[in-house]
Amino acid sequence: MKKTFAFVIVFALLTSTLLAGCAGEPEVITETIIETVVVTEVVEQEVIVTEEVIIEKEVEVPAEPEDVTLTYFTFSAAPDHLEDLDEMIAIFEAEHPKIHIEVQTATWDDYFTKLQTLIAGGEAPDIFELNYENFVSYAAKGVLLNLEPFAQADPAYDETIYYPRALEAFQYNEMQLGMPETFSTVVLYYNKDAFDAAGIDYPAENWTWDEAKEAGKAIMAANDGMWGIHSGIQFWEFYKKAAQNNCEFFNDDQTEVLINSPECVAALETMLSLLDEGVMPSNEEMAGVSDGDMFTNGELGMLVSGIWMFTAFENAPFNWDIQVEPGMETQATHFFSNAVNVFAGTQNPDAAYEWVKFFTSDPNMAEIRINTGWELPTLDNPEYVAGYLAQSPPDNRQAVFDSLQYAIVPPVIERQNEMTDAVGAALEQAVLGILTPQEALDQAKIDVEALLN
Amino acid sequence: MQKRLSSPIMKIALYAVLIVVAATMFVPFLWMISTSLKENQFVLSMPPEFFPAAPTLESYQQLLELLPFGRMIVNSFIVAISVTIGQIISGSMAAYVFARMEFRGRDVIFLAYLATLMIPSQVTIVPLFILMRYLGWINTYQGIISPMVFTAFGTFLLRQSFLTIPKDLEEAAFIDGASHWTVFWKIIMPVSRPALATLAVFAFMQAWNAYLWPLFVTNDENIMTLPVGLALLHGRYLTEWNLVMAGAVVTIVPMLIIYLMAQDYFVKGVVTSGLKG
Repeated sequence: MKKTFAFVIVFALLTSTLLAGCAGEPEVITETIIETVVVTEVVEQEVIVTEEVIIEKEVEVPAEPEDVTLTYFTFSAAPDHLEDLDEMIAIFEAEHPKIHIEVQTATWDDYFTKLQTLIAGGEAPDIFELNYENFVSYAAKGVLLNLEPFAQADPAYDETIYYPRALEAFQYNEMQLGMPETFSTVVLYYNKDAFDAAGIDYPAENWTWDEAKEAGKAIMAANDGMWGIHSGIQFWEFYKKAAQNNCEFFNDDQTEVLINSPECVAALETMLSLLDEGVMPSNEEMAGVSDGDMFTNGELGMLVSGIWMFTAFENAPFNWDIQVEPGMETQATHFFSNAVNVFAGTQNPDAAYEWVKFFTSDPNMAEIRINTGWELPTLDNPEYVAGYLAQSPPDNRQAVFDSLQYAIVPPVIERQNEMTDAVGAALEQAVLGILTPQEALDQAKIDVEALLN
Repeated sequence: MQKRLSSPIMKIALYAVLIVVAATMFVPFLWMISTSLKENQFVLSMPPEFFPAAPTLESYQQLLELLPFGRMIVNSFIVAISVTIGQIISGSMAAYVFARMEFRGRDVIFLAYLATLMIPSQVTIVPLFILMRYLGWINTYQGIISPMVFTAFGTFLLRQSFLTIPKDLEEAAFIDGASHWTVFWKIIMPVSRPALATLAVFAFMQAWNAYLWPLFVTNDENIMTLPVGLALLHGRYLTEWNLVMAGAVVTIVPMLIIYLMAQDYFVKGVVTSGLKG
């Protein structure tokens, strides 16, 4: 018995020393390296004293004291644009030899779970990407660094180069907590061949949903096995179509929920009418195939989706183009933007600001983005726009920018994810016919009110 | 029963049913392989092509360019093998204590240990992450491996198996002056080989497929395991299915080989534990 216990203790001790050894080793190595660096610097300085004055001046130029490694956590690069990101980093590091960027990446589905864990676990990346909808939650929790003082101290900073709307989107309590990196809009894609077969006109910029529905019916009559249109019935589509019908989710100071107003109900009824009149396939009828894939397969005449689908449709075996999305009482379109944000607790805020500045405004960065189709830089620069418009398909790229005129931002509250879920659940009940549009939105009002308090 | 089965009509019917069931299991595998050999624009073509008209290994090539897949395979093996060995050592030792040694509070401790099976891993992931940070093990193999080494399941499985071994065997050994260590190592372990093999198979599979923990604890592509790397292939809006399927083939092949080698133990594992991996 005693022997066994002795064995267990010895084993435990052995394991802990072994494991401690594993953990400790790299640290020792880093320390030695730093020491060597210091030594060489001293040697250099001594050499300089004995040499010519000109050399001494050259050495003095880099003011940064030592090398800095920053971690940058991104969702938008993986998997297709990792190489483009590497290319940008190479340019940045050439310009800033003392700053090294270490990329960490996760896919969209896991990104925010991992980011939360990293921050909670004290391993937060120095710089990370946030989309607008998530920005507010992070801003409210105080984990984002205010970039305003850095921008003001920077003589080269010029806020007029950004689209003002994008810059405003990442302000919170009058602090600039993120710099806009890219934007995208949502447009109406249409299958030109299907329109030709039906003998009807292509969509116009000021189309209404009723016109789109009629065109959808004509397409279905003329093209076998093709649905008219798809435009999902979920939170994101709903707040946009609500805005098209002058429906607001909240009053101005967000004290009252107005989501069940007659305008909102009418907007939802218009959305549901696409399903009820058989112009749009239901989820069951789509059988797990995404709307984008249906469009590529020639099973959809029209589709409301983001400009990020350009690459996916590039090789579609038919002609297609885009137009500004149809409206109701007025036009309203999606505007999505991603920003780069600096962690409030970073050890190297100055270096982090340099990367943020480069990654949102550098001409080299913008050029790579446009040439590789990695979303659009939020830079209001006619040169970039021209470069983008010159590409094809689609021919009518102007619609991307025309959509910007009608761009709205989503209603955002601090408990954003919960609101998305609550409204989404109510919409689903309406789609399934369990609740009428009015009942569904009455329900959504009660649920969202609970989240405001 | 025997008579009815032997009648040819029954046999044909039986085989027909078996073929249909086997096909439902097998077709997705074939589809995966077929998709991995297609070019992206043909992946969703209608009507579906079961045999790609122009098979190509391009997606495998792209896969290697995009991510250090070779490195990830090695990582997965390092993790899976270490976890398997670790689980066998920790599980069998704990199981021996719970099955054979008498001390006060043993059953309470055992029950408490078993109760940890009920706690979903999502709950413990943040504290675990903080613990790993204090140890400086973020982005290290030991960081991925160590939390997976200790499982109540393995201890439970082996304890149940140790309990079935007749005590007479070891009593004879004790009389001859053997220590607990000798009995454990020379008698219990050799006799329990089937149970150990079952645990090894489970542990390997669990570690090979583990996703959430390796995802959280690794940032560096050179430490990532296959499932984490595979997930990186999913875009936010688009997924190139031929790439994902090529990655899936690469991930599954080693498991398939191990499965074919250890098929017996898989079956026994399902029988003894009532669990399917």
